[in-house]
Order: sequence, then structure tokens, then C-alpha cells
Amino acid sequence: MASATAISVQGLERAFAEVLAVRGVEIEVGEGEIYGFLGPNGAGKTTTVRMLTTLLLPTGGRATVAGHDVVAEARQVRASIGVALQEAALDPLMTGRELIRLQATLHGLPGAEGRRRADDLLERVDLADAADRRVGTYSGGMQRRLDLAAALVHEPRVLFLDEPTTGLDPVSRKTIWEEVRALNDDGTTVFLTTQYLEEADQLADNVGIIDSGRIVAEGTPASLKAEVGAPHIRLQLEEGSIAEAEEICRRIGPLLPPVDAKTVLVEVEQGAADIPRVVRALDEADIEVGSLELVHPSLDDVFVAKTGYHIKVPTTSSAPANA
Amino acid sequence: MEGHSLPRSEVVGGAKGALHLRANARVVRALGLRSIRQTFRRPQLMAPIVVFPTILLAIQTGGAGSAVELPGFPPVQSFLQFMLAGAMMQSLMLAGNSGGIALAVDIEMGFTDRLFAAPISRYAIVLGRLAGTAALGLFASLWFFAIGLVFGAEIAGGVPGALLSIALVTVTAAAVGGIGAAIALRTGSASVVQGLFPLVLVVLFLSSAFFPVGLMIEPAKTIAEYNPFSFIVEGVREPIVSGVDATETAEALLAIAGIVVIGLGLSARALRHRLRVG
Amino acid sequence: MDATANLPAWRVNLATIGALMSRAKNELLRVPGAAIPGVLAPTIFFLGLNGVFGALTQLKGFETGAYESFIVPVSMLQGAGFTGAAAGVNMARDIEQGWLDRLLVSPAPRWVLLAGTVLAASARALIPGAFVFAIALLLGAGWPGVDGLLVTFFMVAAMAAVAACWGSMLALRFKSQSAAPLMQAGMMALILTTTAYAPLALLQGWLEEVARVNPVTQVVEAARQGFVGGVSWAETWPGLLALLGLLLVFGALALREMRRTGA
Repeated sequence: MASATAISVQGLERAFAEVLAVRGVEIEVGEGEIYGFLGPNGAGKTTTVRMLTTLLLPTGGRATVAGHDVVAEARQVRASIGVALQEAALDPLMTGRELIRLQATLHGLPGAEGRRRADDLLERVDLADAADRRVGTYSGGMQRRLDLAAALVHEPRVLFLDEPTTGLDPVSRKTIWEEVRALNDDGTTVFLTTQYLEEADQLADNVGIIDSGRIVAEGTPASLKAEVGAPHIRLQLEEGSIAEAEEICRRIGPLLPPVDAKTVLVEVEQGAADIPRVVRALDEADIEVGSLELVHPSLDDVFVAKTGYHIKVPTTSSAPANA
Repeated sequence: MEGHSLPRSEVVGGAKGALHLRANARVVRALGLRSIRQTFRRPQLMAPIVVFPTILLAIQTGGAGSAVELPGFPPVQSFLQFMLAGAMMQSLMLAGNSGGIALAVDIEMGFTDRLFAAPISRYAIVLGRLAGTAALGLFASLWFFAIGLVFGAEIAGGVPGALLSIALVTVTAAAVGGIGAAIALRTGSASVVQGLFPLVLVVLFLSSAFFPVGLMIEPAKTIAEYNPFSFIVEGVREPIVSGVDATETAEALLAIAGIVVIGLGLSARALRHRLRVG
Repeated sequence: MDATANLPAWRVNLATIGALMSRAKNELLRVPGAAIPGVLAPTIFFLGLNGVFGALTQLKGFETGAYESFIVPVSMLQGAGFTGAAAGVNMARDIEQGWLDRLLVSPAPRWVLLAGTVLAASARALIPGAFVFAIALLLGAGWPGVDGLLVTFFMVAAMAAVAACWGSMLALRFKSQSAAPLMQAGMMALILTTTAYAPLALLQGWLEEVARVNPVTQVVEAARQGFVGGVSWAETWPGLLALLGLLLVFGALALREMRRTGA
């Protein structure tokens, strides 16, 4: 990994009237890195990305992207970045090919070069067959792939992806992940915001966790998880037996905040070796266990440790965009 | 019911009928209040219905006001006095269109399905919607009377004349609303109803809303002579420019009745169609 | 890697404007019936106003006995106003759907993005203008001569640009299509508070005073001259100046709003 800085954020702030949506965010992203920016809805991820991509002016702090200040040298920043925003901003009346070519024109590519790049990119994101169909007929996954291709037409140094797989089915998500890895292998720095823990875990070299406008944790996925410590057991029980089960489990290890009303989470230092203890104790109390799972620390645990609650992961949709 | 001389079955039927009527009246009232609240709580939707005709009234009064000097122009105090009825007409027709749009939105959002599934009269649903349109018509007539008085127009028929004009505008608004409702029920699409707005302008231009029929240019003149909306405009205008006239009023009422019959007929058919196809 | 370093800036800007204009034409070519509302409204107004107020030419002070000749340039300018306002509505829709962000995140200068919208509206306004003109000729309006026709259509295209700047400004300010009535009503008021209905001497009260100072009166008069008489430079340059002034003012306001997006 190269040591030069692709993105540098110092004390970045954004206020909307009385509300401080982003409060003093500090980030350093090295060139060639994939940086995962993780947080729940409303944490300030999109606001941060919009400031870094010059769509929103910061109200405090400063940031540089590809060596240019996002306020004073906005035009140079725009020339160096590719952006795929949370809402795939596509024109339903255009064909995929027309859209990529427009993007090429916006970035000053000569006509022939723009056409060549469009063809290559459409092939790369597996949209060559649909290239001359109107975007309005594309499925959600196809639209995201097109959006990604459009962001790459000028071979940007830094690529911003704002929740690129939200709402996609698992297969489409996997395709996007593969593409992101391939881009990174080619040397592109990727700043990726996501609500999906697995996505950050799988893709990111470094992860920054944001909550209520502040960075609450930062590091490699491995180091963050190691910070949290021990694995935990997830027990699915009858609602009426929760209180008693919690009392019993408390004697074995510390409890973690539950994800729902029928679950108990208990930290277990010994990992799998502690499972028989838990099962025996619950059995002796005549508590029926619906299911039991040993869970190793995840980024959600990191989030819980820092904020006291879980990131709520949205449900995915596999329906085409224009069904 | 004690001591009543009718057979029991008819007594019970009569009582049931009265109950139904009361129930329907309650439904119409409730839906009518909802319709009125909807209308007046969204000024950005209401404004074009009143603001656009007001702007046009101001411009046309200033731009074509010298028309009162034309030979053959009816004796009026001012062009503004002449134009007030036309402005009210424009407003009520936009209100009718707007009521149709609101009903179409209800259909698109599934709200009417909820009403259809309730044990209420289908027609009460439409009548309730028309109440909102009538309220807008009433508001428009009051608004333009106020404008007229502020800018010096005299109401020749005095308070009775003004009340008659207001009543005619209010009833016409409901009648036109019936046509808007029929289109909404048939198409179920707000954008289709909205697309009929140019038709409103066409109907108005081809009537005596903005100019005396006798001074219009053919073929607009001939069309305006037979356009039922011309009769309504004249019925609204006469109390303002010269006083209450029984003939003009009767002709206006007849024209309104015609529109009501057409509107109700179309609404009933459209309602049956919607209930059949869902 | 900055791709724009390869070509001179003026070429890149020109290509971008062309590409944005090309995108704008998709609505006309790919949405069935999309052109109809823009053509229908001014045509209805033309036919309606002509049928209703045609007798006004009997009054002393009218330069022509044919009201359709008098009013056709107004209807053509109204068409320009509607078209420009519609461009504003389209921009509001683009904002709501996130499309504008795609343009704002590119290195294209803000004025280039605005120019694409404005010039597309100018070109598009020629369609309702031509339609209304054809209808007017059928109804007996006088032939304005080639010079008169060129002047009129130039005024129409330029007025559409003014209207597009106005519409864009409101779109960027309110970021919502609900500002559409304001876009339409603003242009309607600007164009009709002139010598649209009658010559200045026959206008009444407040309208006479407003028409006197309204710069669009000069535009109406310049667009009308071929239809009611001959074309002269003396009648044309005030209209050109008025359009230039309006373009500078509304253009500057629209550009300011575009630059402030994200503030």
C-alpha cells in the first residue's frame, strides 16, 4: 500500500440550522486503500461524502481529496474523483451507452476516446447487451452497475461509493464487491460508505465507524474486533423465560445488549468450551432453548461496545427497479 | 311508530329508509368536511385556483378595458364590473378540475377502496368530494366580490344580487366538480385529470366569460351563443351589472341543471365501471 | 489523472453544452406526446384571445385591423415562456431524482451546465412558435416578411432563454417541482403585463404604467413589427437590449443559485 494520502479530513463539520450532522470528523485514507465508512442511518455518512465530493460545503474543518482542498480547489477535486451516490442518479430516458458517453463528455474526453471507454466499461460491468436499452428498463442491480461504470469513465484516482449495494440482492451485491476489489487492485483508492457490516468487513482495509456525526472507532477490521474481545453466545428463547435466563447467564459471563425481545447474548471467555455450561445451567432451570449460536466478534460488536446499541441492518430487495 | 296506520312492513321500510338517509347524510358531511379541510390546508394547491384567475382578471381589465367604448358593448359601470363573473367562472372550473384531481389521487392511493369497502352509499363518496369543490366555488365568489369592491366595481343588484351570484357560482362549482369526479373515477389517474386543464380554458374562451358574445369573432361567437356556460356566466353577471333578472337566472339554472344531470350521469356510470373492474 | 487537460477548455465546454442539449431533446423524441402541452397552451391562448378580443381592433389606435396579426407574436412569446418554465420544472425533477448531483460532481463549470439547459429551451421554443405562427397564417394573419419572421423567432428563442434562467433559478432555490406554478405564473405575468392585448395608449390604469416600464414590452413590440408594419432597426434594438438585460439579470441569479447549491 502506497504511503501518500488520498483523502485527508481534519475536524470536518456540517451544521443544518441547529443540528450538527457531522461533528469534527478526522480521517486519513492512504492511496490505494479501501476505506469503509460504517454507521447506521442518519449517522452522517452521506453528509460526509457529499462534503468530500464538493456537493456540500463544510461549515467547519477542512478536507483534501487527491491533494486538493474540497472548498478552494473544488474543480480539481471533481476532475480527480469518481462518484456513485446513494441514489443511482440516472436518466430513465437515456440508454446505458448514452449515459456513459455523456459522463465522458463531462470529463472532457474526446469523442472517440469516450466511445471506446464506454464500450470497455459496459463490457466490464456486464451491461454490453443492455447498453442500447433505456435505463428505465434496467433492474436495480443493472442500474447500480451502470452508475459504477459511469463513475469510472475518466479513470479517477479516488472513487466514492455511497452505499453501493443497499437494496440489492445477494448476487448483485457480490458482483459489486468483486468489481470494487478489481478496481482497488488497479490502484484506485475507494471510499466506501455502508450500513452492511459484512461489506465493510470483507472489503475494507481500514474501517471508520461513525455515529451521530462522530467517528467512534477506527482501524483495520481485525484490530477493531480484537479490541472488543471475547465471542458471545446468542440464545433464542421463549419471551416469558428471558428474565430468568438473563439471571442465569449473568453468572457465566457479562450480558450484551439484546437484539430483540427473545434473545439473550452472553459473552464467553472460553468460546465453544463455555457452551456446555450455559446449556446445563438453562436446562437445570427448565428453560427451553430455541436455538444457540456461538458468535465471534463482529463490527456490530465493536459498534455496540462504542455506542451501546446495534446497527439496524436494512432488508434487501431483489425486485427489478421497474417492476 | 305507535298508532301508525301503515302496514308494519312499510312502517319498518319507511323507518329504515329514513335511517339510511340520515346515515348517508352523515357520511356526506364527514367526507365533505374532509374534502374541505384537504382543499384549504394546502395553499399551494389552492393558490393557482384563485391566484391565476386574479392575475388574468387584472391583466385583461387593464389590457382590454377600453373595450367598453366599442359600439354594442353592454352598458356597464366598468370593464372590471363586466369581468368579475368571468373570473369567478374561471375559478370554479379550476376548482372542479382540482376536485377531480384530488379524487383521482384518492383512487391512486387506495383511499377510495377503503371507502368502497365500508357499509356506506357509493354516491355519498362522490357527493362528499363535491362538497369540497362547492366550498372552493363559494370562496372564489367571495374573493372576487371583495376584489371588485376594493377596486371600485359596483354591484347593481345589491346584497340580494350578490347572494344570487354567489349561490349560482357555488352550485355550478359542484356541478362542474361532478364532471371532474366522473373523469377521475373512469381513469383513476391524477395526471389525466390534470391534463384536462387546457380544456377549461377552451370552454371559457368559447363562452361569454371574457367578452360580450355579440362582439366576439366567428366561429367563437356562434359556439359561445350555444355554450351552456355562457348562460351560467350571464346568470352570475346580470345581478352585478344591472340587477336580478328572472329570465337570465332561469336560463342559468337550466344550464346548471343540464350540467348536473350530465355530471351525475357520467359519475354514476364511472362509479359502476370502477366497482366492476376494481 | 485529469482528462480535461487533454483538450482546450472551450472545446470541452462546447461539447458538454451539446451533450446536455442532446439529452434534453430525449423528452420530446422518446416520451409520446411530450411536445403537446407546450404547443397546446399557447395555441389555445392565441385562438381564444383572438376569438374573444378580436373586436378591439375597431378602436382607434390599433395599428392593424387584424387582431390575429397583433396577437400572434404575444402567443409565440407565451410559448417561449411556457417552454422555458418547463425547462425549470425539468431541472427541479433532476434535482429531486439526484441527476443534477451527477452534473455538479463533474468538472464542468456551473455556467456550462446552465447553458445546456437554457440553450435547449431556446431551441425547443421554436416548435410552439412555429405551430402558432402556422395557425395564425391560416386564420389570415399578415405575412411578416423574412426579416420580420427572423426578428420574431429570434425574440422567441431569446425569451425562452430568459424563462429558462428564471425557471432554473427557482428550481435551484426550492429544489422541488412544486415551484412549477410560480415558474409558469411569473413568465405569464411578465409577458402579459405589456402591450400584449392592446397598444400602450389603449391600456388602462395600472397596466399602462407597468407596460411602460416592463422591458418585455420592447420585446413584444420588436417581435410584432413585421406583422403590423415594416421592420426597422429603431423598433428592434430596444427589444434586443431588453432581452440582453433580462438574460444578464436572470442568468446571473440562476448561476448564483447553482453555485450556492450545497452551501
